[in-house]
Amino acid sequence: MKSTTKSIAFQLIVAVLAVELVASLLVAALSLAYERHIHLSSFDDILRGRANSVLGAVQDADDVNDNVMLDLADLHVPGEDLYEVYDDGAGRLLGRSSNWPSEQSKGIVAATPAELAATANNTFSHLKIDHRHYGFILLHGSRIVDPAEPGGGKVHPITILYGAPSDRVWHAIDSAVEFYAAGSILLLAITGPLIAWLLHRGLSPLRQLAALASHITVNDWHFDPPASARTTPELAPLTQALENSLARLERSFTQQRTFVSDSAHELKTAVAVIKSSLQLLGLRQRSAAEWQAGLARCLADAERLEELVGKMLTLARVESGAAIHADSAAASDMAECIHRSIEELAPVAALRSVQVHAHIPPDVVPVSLTAEDCSLLVSNLLLNALQHSPPDSVVELRISQMPDTQPALVEFAVQDHGEGIAPEALPHIFDRFYRGDPSRARSTGGAGLGLAIVKAIVDHAGGSIHLASKPGEGTAATVLLPLAMHTLAPVAPDSVVAPA
Amino acid sequence: MRVLIVEDEVRLAENLAAALREGPGFAVDCAADGLSGDEMAGFRCYDLVVLDLMLPKMDGLTLLRRMRARRDTTPVLILTAKEGKAAIVELLNAGADDYLAKPFDLGELIARAKALIRRGKGAAHPTLKAYGLEVNTLEQSVHRNGVAVDLSPTEYRILEYLIHHPRRIFSKRELLEHLYDYNWEHHSNVIEAHVSNLRKKLEAAAPGAEPVIETMRGRGYRLSLEQSV
Repeated sequence: MKSTTKSIAFQLIVAVLAVELVASLLVAALSLAYERHIHLSSFDDILRGRANSVLGAVQDADDVNDNVMLDLADLHVPGEDLYEVYDDGAGRLLGRSSNWPSEQSKGIVAATPAELAATANNTFSHLKIDHRHYGFILLHGSRIVDPAEPGGGKVHPITILYGAPSDRVWHAIDSAVEFYAAGSILLLAITGPLIAWLLHRGLSPLRQLAALASHITVNDWHFDPPASARTTPELAPLTQALENSLARLERSFTQQRTFVSDSAHELKTAVAVIKSSLQLLGLRQRSAAEWQAGLARCLADAERLEELVGKMLTLARVESGAAIHADSAAASDMAECIHRSIEELAPVAALRSVQVHAHIPPDVVPVSLTAEDCSLLVSNLLLNALQHSPPDSVVELRISQMPDTQPALVEFAVQDHGEGIAPEALPHIFDRFYRGDPSRARSTGGAGLGLAIVKAIVDHAGGSIHLASKPGEGTAATVLLPLAMHTLAPVAPDSVVAPA
Repeated sequence: MRVLIVEDEVRLAENLAAALREGPGFAVDCAADGLSGDEMAGFRCYDLVVLDLMLPKMDGLTLLRRMRARRDTTPVLILTAKEGKAAIVELLNAGADDYLAKPFDLGELIARAKALIRRGKGAAHPTLKAYGLEVNTLEQSVHRNGVAVDLSPTEYRILEYLIHHPRRIFSKRELLEHLYDYNWEHHSNVIEAHVSNLRKKLEAAAPGAEPVIETMRGRGYRLSLEQSV
């Protein structure tokens, strides 16, 4: 992988191994403390026992002063041990082992007998003598000479300093800790690859999902995630998200494809009309008047094709480009747009003898649309109403502001009193190329794109459109648009707030 | 010959009708949606149906299937803007006889229309011959025993219709239905005059020969010659 971040598996393995390493260090430290405690306390017990046997070897000296002496005959202690026995009462040394260290290397053992006597009983200490580690115990005892005599005999407080080499103990502690450390390292070495393998196995649903997802193309939207991907809690949201976005994409692709195929059909038909009109003219000898009439028809056909292409391009622009000017948030005066559209369509209204009544407030009504889109919106709706109005009827245009709603809205309504829309046609009325009554719509020049354009404009402005119709009574189109947040007059693009 | 055009694009239907009337001289009716097309095809007075596929109210394929379901053998020429072989195969399998993709060539459409009508009546060649008569449907010319006969368009259409089935009796109503469009009833009185003129012109081309058009009183007309030539 060339990505800068390491793979999740790698990160997990490193994390687990690091945790394991810390744990094994802790185990080693704990085992060191534990083993040290166990070994040293048993070593101290041994020392105490041996010191006691040394105490047992202190005998009555059978002399006049009721002194005591160290009788080594029955004393069996390891030869490498060191000991020194004092009679504290007499302040004299009763005896010491033959290998008692020389003065230079004695260290702490060099305390005076008085100091030793003052030291608490069972005091342990560790010393290094002649490069060997020794553990020492200071034992206070007493020996009573002639206890049967009146007065209880003479009591001799005895101090014994006993040491034994502790190298073996330290060695045992070291080996125990070494064992634990080696075990931990071995475990690390084994668990590393094991974790890698387990992770590889555990991540296989993810790889399956990726492999499946990579097979999706524009032509093959089939995506059937494995059950493991659906049921794994970590993968379920990803799978769901994938499925949802794929479904959305497929829908929009299908829509686009339908639009392209519908457009192709419309264009081919329009071209077929022009071509057949021209070929019809050439079918036989014709008079100049016939030629002129034929050419006029061809021109009219070409104009219809031009209008169709223009509307298709408008729709494409509105649908794709609206996202761009939603940010720059254009604003235009809806009232002015309506006046302009009524003026533009006055000839159509006159031709069909339809009256247009506009109920528009005198003040400016700013909406979040470009002037072009606003005109398109108004003129398409008005033209639609005019085309579906019977002669001598009235088309009503109305604007009302709703400042209390959040966000503030403008309601624009167009009401005609025509034949209305059949209930079964209503759901399709915004579909591209849909014509409520095809032959009639064609005769009035509609390509079935006007309402689709209106819907696209309204949608991208964040508004809504609703058509209500009663067959025989007329149709009411109601558009809700967000009110532009600023006053229109000096347009300051920076202060414009984008519609929701 | 009478042709039904089912096409919702009004201008295209107008052009097709004009071309079929001016070119081969067919009588043409137009239907602007699937339902009225189906109703008109149900009259069974057409020699060809030109059918657009994308129609309001009932699509062309459904109309075609309904025609074939009621054993209507009228040739059907499909006009389609659809691409793809699958759609064409489906059309032909549903009982279409031929198809043309939009935008088509008007000359090709007329040629195919003629061929389909001819085939529908069992003729393979555009020149029809019977009893010394020779009708060239391409040039719309008629010869009797090698002598050219100059006929008016209506007279020619009557002869062309009759010569497809020599010896078969055609009622006056059938002739009217197949030679005129929907307002054929206005022509009911003149058809006798046209047949009479046609007979005279054919006799003038071969003096002394037997008349080839018989009037079967109360039953209609037929093309026949009692003695063999």
